[in-house]
Amino acid sequence: MSEFTIHHNANELMTQLEVRSSAPVGAEVYAEKLLQNRTPFVTTQISSSQAKRRIAATTETPIEFFAKYDDLKSKNVRDIDPLVHLLSKLGKEEEVKYVLSQHAEKQAKKEGLQLYPPRNFTSQLPTSGTKMTEEELSQVQDLLKQAKVVDTSSKFLTKVLREKPLNRNVNLPQIPDGFFQNPQLTLDFFDDGDPNLDEDIVGLGTLPLFSQEYLIMEDLLVLMRGIEGKYIRPMPLSERYAAREFLIDQSLDVSTQTLVQRILPLCANYSTVVRFIEEKSLFEYGLVNHALSAAMQTLIKDYMVLIVQLEQQLNLGQLTLQKMCFYLQPTMNLLDILASVANSINRGKCIGGAVLSLLHEKTASMIGDSRSSQLLLFLTQSACAPYMELVGKWIYRGIIVDPYAEFMVEENEAFNKEKLQEEYNDAYWEKHYSVFRERIPVFLEQVADKILNTGKYLNVVRQCGRDVRCPFAEELVYTIKERRYYDQIERAYSYASQLLLTLLIEEKELVARLKSIKHYFLLDKGDFIVQFMDMTEMEMKQHIDDILPSRLESLLELALRTSTANVDPFKDDLRVDLLPFDLTSQLLQIIAIDSNREKEYRIDPTDIRLSGLESFTFDYVVKWPTSLVISRKALIRYQILFRHLFYCKHVERQLCSVWKGNMQAKAYARSRWYTAAFALRQRMLNFVQNFEYYMMFEVIEPNWHDFQQNMAKVSNVDDVLAFHGDFLDCCLKDCMLTSTELLRIVHKLLVVCVTFSNYVQRVSHATSVEAEQERLRDSTLQVTLSNKERKEDAQKKKTATQVLAQHVDHILEDENFEKTIVSFDTNFSRHLLELLDKIMDENTKTYEHKLFNIIYRLDFNGFYTEKLEAMSAERAMADYPLMQESKNTSKSSSSSSLTSFTTQHSESARYVPGQYKSKP
Amino acid sequence: MPREIITLQLGQCGNQIGMEFWKQLCAEHGISPEGILEEYATEGTDRKDVFFYQADDEHYIPRSVLLDLEPRVINGIMNSPYANLYNPENVYLSKHGGGAGNNWASGYSQAERLYDEIFDIIDREADGSDSLEGFVVCHSIAGGTGSGMGSYILERLNDRFPKKLTQTYSVFPNVDEISDVVVQPYNSLLTLKRLTQNADCVVVLDNTALNRIAADRLHIDTPTFAQVNQLVSTVMATSTTTLRYPGYMNNDLIGLIASLIPTPRLHFLMTGYTPLTTDSQVANVRKTTVLDVMRRLLQPKNMMVSTPVQRQGSNHCYISILNIIQGEVDPTQVHKSLQRIRERKLAQFIPWGPASIQVALSRKSPYVQSAHRVSGLMLANHTNISHLFDRILKQYDKLRKREAFMDQFKKESMFSENLDEFDNARESLQELVNEYTAATRPDYLTWGSQQAAVS
Repeated sequence: MSEFTIHHNANELMTQLEVRSSAPVGAEVYAEKLLQNRTPFVTTQISSSQAKRRIAATTETPIEFFAKYDDLKSKNVRDIDPLVHLLSKLGKEEEVKYVLSQHAEKQAKKEGLQLYPPRNFTSQLPTSGTKMTEEELSQVQDLLKQAKVVDTSSKFLTKVLREKPLNRNVNLPQIPDGFFQNPQLTLDFFDDGDPNLDEDIVGLGTLPLFSQEYLIMEDLLVLMRGIEGKYIRPMPLSERYAAREFLIDQSLDVSTQTLVQRILPLCANYSTVVRFIEEKSLFEYGLVNHALSAAMQTLIKDYMVLIVQLEQQLNLGQLTLQKMCFYLQPTMNLLDILASVANSINRGKCIGGAVLSLLHEKTASMIGDSRSSQLLLFLTQSACAPYMELVGKWIYRGIIVDPYAEFMVEENEAFNKEKLQEEYNDAYWEKHYSVFRERIPVFLEQVADKILNTGKYLNVVRQCGRDVRCPFAEELVYTIKERRYYDQIERAYSYASQLLLTLLIEEKELVARLKSIKHYFLLDKGDFIVQFMDMTEMEMKQHIDDILPSRLESLLELALRTSTANVDPFKDDLRVDLLPFDLTSQLLQIIAIDSNREKEYRIDPTDIRLSGLESFTFDYVVKWPTSLVISRKALIRYQILFRHLFYCKHVERQLCSVWKGNMQAKAYARSRWYTAAFALRQRMLNFVQNFEYYMMFEVIEPNWHDFQQNMAKVSNVDDVLAFHGDFLDCCLKDCMLTSTELLRIVHKLLVVCVTFSNYVQRVSHATSVEAEQERLRDSTLQVTLSNKERKEDAQKKKTATQVLAQHVDHILEDENFEKTIVSFDTNFSRHLLELLDKIMDENTKTYEHKLFNIIYRLDFNGFYTEKLEAMSAERAMADYPLMQESKNTSKSSSSSSLTSFTTQHSESARYVPGQYKSKP
Repeated sequence: MPREIITLQLGQCGNQIGMEFWKQLCAEHGISPEGILEEYATEGTDRKDVFFYQADDEHYIPRSVLLDLEPRVINGIMNSPYANLYNPENVYLSKHGGGAGNNWASGYSQAERLYDEIFDIIDREADGSDSLEGFVVCHSIAGGTGSGMGSYILERLNDRFPKKLTQTYSVFPNVDEISDVVVQPYNSLLTLKRLTQNADCVVVLDNTALNRIAADRLHIDTPTFAQVNQLVSTVMATSTTTLRYPGYMNNDLIGLIASLIPTPRLHFLMTGYTPLTTDSQVANVRKTTVLDVMRRLLQPKNMMVSTPVQRQGSNHCYISILNIIQGEVDPTQVHKSLQRIRERKLAQFIPWGPASIQVALSRKSPYVQSAHRVSGLMLANHTNISHLFDRILKQYDKLRKREAFMDQFKKESMFSENLDEFDNARESLQELVNEYTAATRPDYLTWGSQQAAVS
């Protein structure tokens, strides 16, 4: 069960129990708990009987309960054992019981029903549990009622077949009408409801014993072939699957009658089996039932031979009733088994896998009786043959030929591979083929996933236009003990996964492709990014609507061709894309999806003006079957990482150009106005660069390294998917893209940096324009200057520089430059300290050490340490007054313990450089 | 459209180290001395076009301008196997070939006269590149041509290309041996003024330290020019490695040096390199790890500047550090190493701002075999570099007191009237020393305004 199903179910349950309004937490909390604590339920004979006993002990009507259980069990209802187990557990939980009873009362009142007295409640639990199958029951009842109306089974059959709408999506061939029009076309007794009593028949009692025996034997031989006798008459069926009953001439000698009574069940069983064969041979019952019927048919043929032999004996006058009884003994046993199989299948309305499960269980239970178990094994093997062929086709060739919807894997055409480019989830891989649990034969349950995956893998290969034939293909045969088919499936699985993996990795060069994606999305090829940013600088500054994607596209092309990316064979698959939302809002929305706070982050898309820079991202064209791994979902995650890194790069570039501007100040000796601004710029640059270093060399690169190592020894595609997913998740998490709080602070910090650099650049632009003018004037003069004059010129320049420096001073004083810088400074420091503090907080909370590394980088020389200490001290102080109050109000002993606790907390929260030890 | 860098090689020393630099680059990129790409080097995951461009026949030509006032070294280059590598139009030799006579003023005034010819070449190179990032100047500060001509060119570069970066690799004179250039302090002082005011980043290559390293660490008794220059070329090549082998970060010159230089005037960088080997030496039996390399880089004996990094009784400290680590590096080791260095307090940092050791991981050239798994270059901005300037100031004062050797300078027009330029330069350098000292104190940020208030 996937996460979402669980979530949904938890949600439903909460609505059903009406706990939604009162619950403090949402369904996601329960879902998460369930996910964590889920253990596969294994039914054993012992555990289920224990559970049964436990329920019986608490209930007041244990007999009814057992009856119900057996009834359901005999119907082969799925999951009855887990349900009983759950109920027995519930029976022990007083609280739950109370809640449930309260709820039930409420419900009952609402619907105007009378409720069982509360003390009786537990006893009702099993029954209420079986409500699950109530619908089924009522259906069965309806059918039974119908059956009563119809006189003959064959008529009934006709009706059922004609009227019953097929709820399974199988296309059945038409059955010719003539098939139904001749009710006598059966091996079973033909009930026409008219007992055509022969007038000539004399009461048996009037005849001598010898004749009685002969006549009765004659009758029996006829009855055994499904034809009514003279003295023993079959009763019409009370319902479709009922056992046939017979009327015997009561005047028959008592001792003979006893013998006859012993043989009659054989006839009844014959009737059941023949009816079963005839019914299940119809198209709609599927291949497994067909095969089973066919197997039974061969047995019936042997049986017929036996009867003919008996008749021969009788005609020769060598047969007595005793002898006949003796000869029939083994056959009686055989038919008994066949009939019981038929009955179980009829009762459970089993088809396909369920039939096989049932046969498997029966075979297993007969293990002590060698003859019967051989018989059942024969039946099971025959019934399995078509199913195993399906399995074989699927696991060896990846084809499903399943006209009667019996196979456990079903193809869902709604999810096709072309959608993989657009879909935001792994639907194709997850849902294109799905397993139907109820169609899995029990003996294949363990390998069901393997079977599914094997075929899935082969199908991917097939869809790449290649025919696959597993070299290990051999017939799968059901066996009870050795489970040879497990090995075969295993081998097919490893072949298929190997095949697909080779296809993906070697032919489609998956690893190279991932590397290529890493070059672009994770900024691995730095020169390309630098080049691209250089070329698109003007474009990126514009508003998103004013940018021509085609121009970006051509610039991208140029950047690709002229950088080292040129050697990448997949470079042509890179595209540009402009998204209508910026990274932060996108992420906040994604993060907010699972929490209730979603609405908080909804922003009106109209009130933000996005620049190209904020909306830009790369896209990548992925073709089938690589798109299995690099799905849209994965690409989105790459894009998120890319946009984050890209923005950081942009900020770094901005700060670098500020630096370049600042460097011009080197000529002016002792310019007092710059130092504060320079120091702030340096701190920002330090932050941005270290942040980038952290993300690239401490997050992406090590994770990539691990991913590569895992990829080197990966053995199947599901693992590839998992490793790839892990890689991306780790990167996102450690780049702080999954925590709303951290993300917001980082974003703010970056924004402060950008605003600062814009401001400084504006100011220096104002000054440099004048410098430029000055310079131009100089250089125009210079051309005509002779050497001698050039010296003068130099003198002039010097004065000009001085004038300029004064001028700059002047401007800066006017504009309150210093004040602005100071406010930038405090803003930046506040956010940065907040970030460091949060990271430390996070660290103490989750014991996750990765993020802590960034503190090391940002605060390598302990520059921020003092401030952070001050901050935590402040926090401790903030806690202190509270404690003071508590001291006043509560007893001194408790408050003192509280104090020590709080101080301890603040102590541990404080960040002390050098004291931090990495985990060993 | 790479971010191109044009190299200017000035004077004897500049051309010598420049030539070693190009040799090294050619080897790393698999380019033959004729500029033709070797067959084994065609896969192309490196960026050759930052330093080279391709001629019509596809062979690689360095973006390099060779300037000298006397023919000896350039003729030497032109007779070497690398003669055909350079663009002959970019080689400029003064016509009279007399050199600058180790006189700064002579070099400066000759450069002034040759302005048009020199800048014809530079302009042509600049126009030939799509998005020029800046210039790298190789020269020495003690001689005549490198210092005088270099000073002049630095000033003009600043005027003509105000938006471009100017980085210099400046060789400082060896103080251990008696120099044949007696006016060394004069030359150095005058050049340092330009380096302070007109260059964006100065990588200090201290001959004293280089010779000492060659002698002590490489066990060469009398290191030759070639051996010392090989050290220099290693440093130069490694410091540009992130530009040539792009990775996640530091893929342009500005990104590389911006974080190293917090305030404009404090832009003199020291270098350190480990492990050191020369061709003749066999590989040490040593296991090189990231931590090992990073720790060694912090040791004074590996620094290529002859100032004790941690002087007793002073609080000189690192303003910033960038380590470029090459080779097979497990990225997780970097963090561990940083942590260790921090815990052990192996490096002292400035108190007035955040500072850290930045680590740039870079690929190694696949064509140059190295005996070491990991090697590292440190570019550091350390306040102690002022020690070098202090030394020059002292030597200058000594000479100046006696007005020694002033005649040669007075011959040139710049000094014919007065010696203001000297005083000016001295003041400027003194201020730089003061600023470096101030940078060791927590109140550095208000230092500028204090000074202004005092004066």
